[in-house]
Amino acid sequence: MGLFSRRNVLAILLLLALIVPSFANAYQLFVGNLILIYVLLAIGLNVLVGYAGQLAFANAAMFGIGAYGTALLQVHLSWPFYLAFPAGALIAMAVGLMISLPALRLSGLYLALSTLAFAQFAQWVFLHWDTLTFGAGGFKSPPISFAPLPLSKPVGLYYLSLITTVCVTLFAQNVVASRIGRAFVAVRDSEIAAQSLGVDLLRYKALAFGISGFTAGLAGGLYSQLLNFVSPEGFDLFQMVIQKSTIVVGGLGSIAGSVLGAAAIVIILELLREVKGAQEVFFGAVLIFFVTFLRGGIVSVLQQRLRGWDEPLHGTRGTDAKSAPQLRLDEKESLP
Amino acid sequence: MLLFSYLLLGGLTSGVLYALVALGLVVVNKSTGIVNFAQGELFMFCGFLAWTVHVQFGLAYPLAFLAAIAGGFLLGVVTDRVAFRSLAKTDVVGLVLATVGLGFVLRGTARMIWGGKGDYLSFPPITSPEPVMIGTIMIIPQQMAALAGALVIMLAFAAFFKFTRAGKIMRATADNAKASTLVGISIQNVYTLAFGTGAAIAGAAAVLAAPLSLLYPDMGFAFFIKGFAAAVLGGLNSLSGAVVGGLLVGIVESMAGGYIHSNMMEVAPFLLIMLVLIVCPTGILSLYKARDV
Amino acid sequence: MKQNLRGLSAWCIAAAVLASPYASAQEQPGLTPTSIRIGSFGALTGPGYLYGKLAMNGVEVVFDQVNAAGGINGRKLEFIREDDRCDPAGAIGAAQKLIYQDQVFALIGGGCSNATFAAREVIEKAAVPFLVVSSVHDGITTPPAPTIFSTALTSTIESKAQVEYAIESKAKKIAVVSMRDSWGRARYTPLMDELKAKGITVVADEEMSPDANDATAQVLRLKQTDADAVIMVLFPKPAAVFARDAQKLGYKPLLIGQTGIGDPAAFEDQVGIPGATAKFRTISMVKYTPNDPEMEKWRKLVEAKFPGDRLSVFNLFGIGSAQVLVEALKRAGPDLTREKLVAALASIHDFPVDVFGAPITCTQADHRCNKAPAWLAKDPSGPVKVLSITRVE
Repeated sequence: MGLFSRRNVLAILLLLALIVPSFANAYQLFVGNLILIYVLLAIGLNVLVGYAGQLAFANAAMFGIGAYGTALLQVHLSWPFYLAFPAGALIAMAVGLMISLPALRLSGLYLALSTLAFAQFAQWVFLHWDTLTFGAGGFKSPPISFAPLPLSKPVGLYYLSLITTVCVTLFAQNVVASRIGRAFVAVRDSEIAAQSLGVDLLRYKALAFGISGFTAGLAGGLYSQLLNFVSPEGFDLFQMVIQKSTIVVGGLGSIAGSVLGAAAIVIILELLREVKGAQEVFFGAVLIFFVTFLRGGIVSVLQQRLRGWDEPLHGTRGTDAKSAPQLRLDEKESLP
Repeated sequence: MLLFSYLLLGGLTSGVLYALVALGLVVVNKSTGIVNFAQGELFMFCGFLAWTVHVQFGLAYPLAFLAAIAGGFLLGVVTDRVAFRSLAKTDVVGLVLATVGLGFVLRGTARMIWGGKGDYLSFPPITSPEPVMIGTIMIIPQQMAALAGALVIMLAFAAFFKFTRAGKIMRATADNAKASTLVGISIQNVYTLAFGTGAAIAGAAAVLAAPLSLLYPDMGFAFFIKGFAAAVLGGLNSLSGAVVGGLLVGIVESMAGGYIHSNMMEVAPFLLIMLVLIVCPTGILSLYKARDV
Repeated sequence: MKQNLRGLSAWCIAAAVLASPYASAQEQPGLTPTSIRIGSFGALTGPGYLYGKLAMNGVEVVFDQVNAAGGINGRKLEFIREDDRCDPAGAIGAAQKLIYQDQVFALIGGGCSNATFAAREVIEKAAVPFLVVSSVHDGITTPPAPTIFSTALTSTIESKAQVEYAIESKAKKIAVVSMRDSWGRARYTPLMDELKAKGITVVADEEMSPDANDATAQVLRLKQTDADAVIMVLFPKPAAVFARDAQKLGYKPLLIGQTGIGDPAAFEDQVGIPGATAKFRTISMVKYTPNDPEMEKWRKLVEAKFPGDRLSVFNLFGIGSAQVLVEALKRAGPDLTREKLVAALASIHDFPVDVFGAPITCTQADHRCNKAPAWLAKDPSGPVKVLSITRVE
């Protein structure tokens, strides 16, 4: 294990993350907490898109369902946060599982479109089901207190997010290193071959969607507390673009990549504040730059340059899009 | 009955706009296998170019049309050369994100150049703005112009892909890029041509649609998502499918709004898509289309 | 290589190092003997940019004028913008950055409703004076926060005015068409409440998407109910599509607009069909439209500072609001503190501002300082005229 192995780097980041509240002002603490939330989102999305190869666009909707679920349970049913938080995540996971069913028959851009359609549908429900979701105006979620611990709410929430993120990261790393992870990669690289090897497509696709739904739900619950306000705006397709950026910039098919990518994107977005109105242009340029020149994301660069970085080899190797089976469905359909 | 025919007509008029966007998407996809998520922004940007030529500088209408198409083509070529050089080897998510990035760049640039000129800019129609009576129904002539334009584009490109050498080369590349290289086709040139053409179509579409939809930097996304839905419904590779898909999306919107309630209009097309894709995972029209060899 | 990792930790540490000196420097943040730092958050990107970026452009033009004349009590105004992307998280982040990192003295701005509302808590907690320019969400000013004031016509005020107008025009059947986003809902709810309070039941309640290109369904449904007045809680694009399709289908009710469609001349242009806006009446936060000769001086300033832009009502929102802030800063005197600024804002009484419909009045109990919606209309071949300026209590 070299000096710059994944484990060491992540450990250093963890140490850094632990001491942030001691010197950060309110704004920096907010950004730090936001990074942790995006790490959660990125890990779940990477499991689904990077490992299992499911081009799904519903993660932002699941994020929203987690946020709404947690906060609404607190508001409508007066549940305490420590119950509402996991419950919200479970609701998001259930929805994720539900989406995995049609995903069985769809792949590539068709899956993309149907999950996009679902995301738009979820947005519509947030807006129109006023009696439940309070509609377009949003609502305030009751702030949690960390009594009897001597922690203010922002600091307490930060540590809660950190603990959640660490647990999810460890869990995800274990999953992808296990038989399940290998099954995901098999499904991604060739469904037909995977099936012939006895990999149950339904089970593993559902698992992938479920994991990403659950982590997105956790992220949503934390987000609802970070803002103490839940409204439909934050869960639209722009949010989805940010999430996809985190995994592409970090590296598809890499948990460490999800961590680094999420941190990178959030920090880039904050740094882009400097260019005021030109943010959109610069962010677009950053995306194009990463996709065209840093294919494989940050982890691929680290793997090339840092001696000792031990990234397992199942990151997507940039398959030729032309021959990727998922895209050319009319080809498949004309076979008997 | 009158209600039905008015709703149908209303659906057709908005559907045509979606079809115009879908056509651009399909042309690019047919040649490269890539879905250009920036198609809506190209549409928007070319519309603003036309506005600058015709409304701001007061030049003749046909010049504005030309500016939109030429400007679009140039934009497509430049972005391909600068940004998408090596896009063929990237995985799908990366492709999507690269075109999304392009969309952001275009949107931000448009906002910086034209954003301060007004909230929604109007663009004069190619015909007179007064509604005319056809039989018992009133229509706005520009809507007919847009429909005619969509059909012309569709037929022109169908012919292009089927009969011209360039068209066949593009189809071959989309089918199997490696094999195309083996027979001496330069994939890079094909990609450049494809992006240029797709953007040029967006330009033509913009001039037809702008009088009806008004111009604003954020118009691209709403058009893209419905256009994308329309294209996939029609089978993503079929020009006629794009048009039919677009009209279908428009009609479903209008009917849902008229018969159920207007708050269903935004969601009805997406419910339709979710349903269709569950039943026919490869789009409606490809059920009836064998692959052209 | 190692740079990547070092860079990441360096940012954190550098930020910490940079942040600490700021905190201990002055008792009044954002103040030096020669400058006052004013921050602004709103949408610089995304569809909300009209209420953010363009309004801020107006503010900046006023600040430039003040600085050219020597500043306020010897201090020049420094203006810092932040983007909130019309997103609650963006607004909270932007407000926190302005308050804790950039250490601004006061805030002026606020575009999208939900975003500004979400940021209210942060601003209140830090007790920073904040003058709202464009956000109409009632929750921002009700219940009043000690340091938050507004020159925007809040939703309740506009909705009351709309209902009053509909009643005065002797409409027998009133219908509502609205957008479902946060701006639309912020207006819709008080509108429905006010209608109910006046004992009116709407004959139709339709919805339009902000990007809608066809309103046939809505027009037909409204036509079936014979509504003779339609209250439009819409942005100009869907409203223009509605007006156009109504004309096409031969439906000609009274069209009642609101601040979102504050320029009848631009609206007429957007609808495109001659005569379609003959029965269109709308409210504006400001009593002038950009083409008014009275606005020539602002037009020159805006178009000089932002080449390519044309003066718009959104600039005027910022221009009006900034003048109020400047007046309050002047009144707070050379020995400036945040508390004094707040007291000065609360003391503004019958202060005339060239763009607003009536003199601005803030009180301790009510921080909504602009309660004078101006009713505008335009005859198809004539100029825009001010029909009346209502005073709402």
